[in-house]
Amino acid sequence: MNAGSALKPLRSLLPVLVILALIALVPLFSPSNRFLSLAISAGINVIALYGLSVLFGQTGILSMGHAALVGVSAYAAAILARDFGVGFWVALPVAAVASAIFAMIVGVPSLRVGGHHFVIMTFAFGQLLAIVLTNGGDYTGAATGLDIAGPVTLFGADVTELTRYYLMVVAFVTVAAVASWAIIHSSYGRTLRAIRENEKLAASLGINVGRHKIGAFVVSGVFAGVSGVLLAYFLGHISPSQFSSFPSIYLALMVMIGGARLIEGPLAGGILVAFLPEVLNLDPVQSRIVYGICLIAVIMLLPDGLIGGIVRALRGLFAGKAKQEAERDAAPSEARR
Amino acid sequence: MDIFIQQILNGLSIASVITLIAIGVTLIFGLTGIINFAHGEFLMIGGIVTWLAVSAGLGFPIAVMLSILAVGLMGYVLERGLFRFTLERPTNGFIVSLGLIVVLQHVVVLFWNPNQKSIPRPLTTVWEIAGVRIASVRVMVILITIAVVALSFRMITASRYGRALRASVEDRDTAALMGIPVRRYITGVFVLGSALAGLGGALLIALFPITPFTGGTMVMKGFAVALIGGLGNIYGAVAAGLILGIVEGFSAGYGFSQWTDAYSFVLMILVLIVRPHGLFGGTSGPRMAS
Repeated sequence: MNAGSALKPLRSLLPVLVILALIALVPLFSPSNRFLSLAISAGINVIALYGLSVLFGQTGILSMGHAALVGVSAYAAAILARDFGVGFWVALPVAAVASAIFAMIVGVPSLRVGGHHFVIMTFAFGQLLAIVLTNGGDYTGAATGLDIAGPVTLFGADVTELTRYYLMVVAFVTVAAVASWAIIHSSYGRTLRAIRENEKLAASLGINVGRHKIGAFVVSGVFAGVSGVLLAYFLGHISPSQFSSFPSIYLALMVMIGGARLIEGPLAGGILVAFLPEVLNLDPVQSRIVYGICLIAVIMLLPDGLIGGIVRALRGLFAGKAKQEAERDAAPSEARR
Repeated sequence: MDIFIQQILNGLSIASVITLIAIGVTLIFGLTGIINFAHGEFLMIGGIVTWLAVSAGLGFPIAVMLSILAVGLMGYVLERGLFRFTLERPTNGFIVSLGLIVVLQHVVVLFWNPNQKSIPRPLTTVWEIAGVRIASVRVMVILITIAVVALSFRMITASRYGRALRASVEDRDTAALMGIPVRRYITGVFVLGSALAGLGGALLIALFPITPFTGGTMVMKGFAVALIGGLGNIYGAVAAGLILGIVEGFSAGYGFSQWTDAYSFVLMILVLIVRPHGLFGGTSGPRMAS
């Protein structure tokens, strides 16, 4: 192992860190409140997307109930604040653990069923959660949902104000990106990729496939949990429809538009989907049609997502050694099975 | 007792629509391995076409025909234009179907707003037999479904096309080696499945008002039924459709109506945990996909 190969993983993190640093400078240009709100919701999504990219990009399993994991922690945070007077920083780890536990509860039976059915199982659990929350009476606030009050403070300073909340979300996105990068470049990430590429072969090498798949789902649950708490405190009000299956479809859509395998993918997907309607000046209905068409186009034409496609095109320009790299890093088949 | 019979009837009429989706879902999955979530949107489009036709002054039977034709044609176009390219990677087909859900729903919202749409009941007679009120429209839905399902069965079990179809579901490669034009059968199944969804949509709007978002819950129920019955297994889909319809009918009649939508999911999750291949056994998708 020479110095060059040890530095290589770091090099892949660098572009994301630079982009995030630039994003953190945005408040200097005194953006409108609307821009900041959009950016905050995009950032909150991106955190969940980084978890989803570990699950889908690395392990090759797709969750269609990811918004439910976000919802569990959002509701956990709201109920903790209401019943126990617990603030943001205590709620954050507790709710993240709640999401992870929910992921395990969903994951164990779903992954036992395996293959094609996993997607449907997670979708069904997502729908079930929305139904349970809607029928939960006063405890979950039924269809109207729950309010969550209370300022978020950091080192004694109130960060509820939009610009500060924005910076905090950017910080969380950075942590999520670094965490997902660390997972990708750890031996754990390699194990997950082995499962993605050939489950039977991985099992024959002594990898406990089932446990690692559930593990990956639980890890993605932690990301979703963090994003849920941030979401609950940002919106101040949560309701079941925000976490049913269709928000889950949008999450999957974002991660696939961006590309699930590369570290830039979730960031690009989240930002693109949030700002596309603004840029093209579309109303919500039109923008959703555009998302759907984008998703279909990306899957048909660029199976590695937009960023994967761009990276591959760039690398295609430098032939030779770079080409091998491109083939290794962005394996052309998004899903073999 | 009269409530009991009425609930069975209500349940069966809902089960009919669900079964019509489930047959399409199960056939498409059996042959291509594609989990087509957009199938519920096909149903919704069928309902919208019926609504448009009836609003334009056409009779209900003609509207049903138009809906079957339109949605069948849509299935053809989508298979030729999109799903054909995802046969090697069924997961991509599934993702494409997610994109289609979003597109189809919002195209309908764009043109015809997101509000509920309903048509006047095509049959208004309500028979009263020994205190039981039987709406003829429900009976009509059940009878049409029985006829169509019986016809599909006959086609699949007795004709040589059906035999070729079953062979393709069993093993696509071997079937192709035996000279069966599998690709053409895949197109055919998409068209048949879509046409059934079109019929289902037309029948659904005869029973209840629909919105552009009706497809989402209906397709989940269709999938629940297809999975409970065993994916790729048409008999299983019909049997599971009956079970679910009756369970839903009872729960609506005996005061747990707010949980009605949850039953299909709970039932499906339980069945999959206990019997991953469904109650009646199914295929795990085409072999060449692995």
